[in-house]
Amino acid sequence: MAKFVVIGERIHCISPTIKKAMEEMNPEPIIKRAKEQIEAGATYIDVNIGPAEKNGPELMKWAVKTIQEACNNVPLALDTSNRAAIEAGISVYDRTNGKPIVNSADAGDRIENIDLAAANDAIVIALCSKAGVPSDNDERMVYCQELLERGMNEGMDPSDMWFDPLFLVIKGMQDKQMAVLDFIGQLSDMGLNSTGGLSNVSNGTPKYIRPILDAATVAMAMCRGLTSAIMNPCDARVMETIKASDIIKNNFLYADSFLEI
Amino acid sequence: MAFTRKAQTYSSSINEVTIGTGDKAVTIGGSNVMPLYSFDAPLKNKIAIGAEITDSGVDRTLPGIASYYEGADTIAEIAKRASEMPGADFVALALNGADPNGENRPVEECVEIAKQVSDAIDVPLVITGSRNVEKDTALFSSIAEALQGKNVLLVSAKEENYKTVAASAIMAYGNKISAESAVDINLAKQLNVLLSQMGINPESYVMNVGSAAAGYGYDYVASTLDRVKDAALAQNDAMLQMPIITPVSQETWAVKESIVSEEDYPDWGSRESRGVDMEVCTAAAVIAGGSDAVILRHPQSIAAISGMIADLM
Repeated sequence: MAKFVVIGERIHCISPTIKKAMEEMNPEPIIKRAKEQIEAGATYIDVNIGPAEKNGPELMKWAVKTIQEACNNVPLALDTSNRAAIEAGISVYDRTNGKPIVNSADAGDRIENIDLAAANDAIVIALCSKAGVPSDNDERMVYCQELLERGMNEGMDPSDMWFDPLFLVIKGMQDKQMAVLDFIGQLSDMGLNSTGGLSNVSNGTPKYIRPILDAATVAMAMCRGLTSAIMNPCDARVMETIKASDIIKNNFLYADSFLEI
Repeated sequence: MAFTRKAQTYSSSINEVTIGTGDKAVTIGGSNVMPLYSFDAPLKNKIAIGAEITDSGVDRTLPGIASYYEGADTIAEIAKRASEMPGADFVALALNGADPNGENRPVEECVEIAKQVSDAIDVPLVITGSRNVEKDTALFSSIAEALQGKNVLLVSAKEENYKTVAASAIMAYGNKISAESAVDINLAKQLNVLLSQMGINPESYVMNVGSAAAGYGYDYVASTLDRVKDAALAQNDAMLQMPIITPVSQETWAVKESIVSEEDYPDWGSRESRGVDMEVCTAAAVIAGGSDAVILRHPQSIAAISGMIADLM
């Protein structure tokens, strides 16, 4: 099995620093944050520009070029509800180190992003939801099948569809956690790749608790077959847990210095 | 429906490492397919064979070796003859006499021998040490200095001395080393990590993951080689993408089959042909497992293995 893929989530327009940098098209703060995440062990960098209704295509093109040129063509996840912006980003994207990821499609309004990914030979994150949180795993599986069918009809390799089970917040949806893990197991049994917004689980908990919950969740999810997560790679505790879990899963050969590489 | 063959190539590949200088320099590694899977993609470089000589010459009790080296008496003449052996790509000088528990040849003498050998040949030179960590540390540092810029390969640095050996051999004098891990795959990777953390360029070292004669624990070598190649290619583990050199002869000529005389074991037949058989079957096995270079002793073994490689490339 391949190593777990960490998609660094820290270039996000919710962050005031990043929001300002995107407004001003100031490369330094964005490059700095990309480099920090790569240094910390991220494979992919997520670029969330928000809806960017005004200048989406222009902004995404600029962001893709800025980050890839400064960071040895690091592979990117293009994260926006603005489809034109994703297409524009892919048009200037360098594939040397990996295909672009379209973040994201779902079984509802955003299902056409599957077609977009297929047409551009990209990976797509496919949310197993339609509108709101699915009530159970049967519902999740229906959406998963819809998405999979759509992708395969469009000629996608199923390995390029990374299914997102939707991690749920522990504080409020504690009783649903095992169901999400079970669903990851179902995806894995089907041989499918999976990813998701890991830190959702610890939303609203005290700051010192978050890494503990995130780390436990990722370890349990990797045990069930999770192949990737969208997360903060600068969280050392979670990264160590992922590296150790990769060792236990025999995805990566043990050496005494395994945490350093 | 017609069968469509899918080539099993990988996006990762084994590093290329060059030893020697000039026209006869040899590059090993570079492939992006499982060992010898030339039907999946052309192998980037030929598997290299070294002709082994020692600091005290060659074993003339074996008629095949005695006749090949006939008339070559000084170490320089022997080295020259070895460098001309059909099928051999480099000369491997084994400084067995340096062992403190044996002849204990002083470092200065070993350096002198290494220089004479180096001066006598135009093919790359690989030097194997005494296998005593302390002695080899001093030996490799002095040889690296004396043969600065010759791009020789020193076999091997171990966990106990890799820092000193890498600092002098590679960083100070521009030679190459192999990192030895004695059939311990986790140590093999760890040594590569430590060397890379020293800032050593991955094109400056190879691995010696250990060897054993066929029938003497070879199954451990086989599983180690398999796991290394799987990690290097299928898991794209940069810390295991170094090419592998295996000193085969030192193992195979030290086991009972290659030592006991025909007088003592008349049913076993000629000692020389037994030794060659052990050397050939072990070498073939490590090459099939992923070794990018082997060191062999007998001209007949070298002919057999070079023929095998040519047929499979």
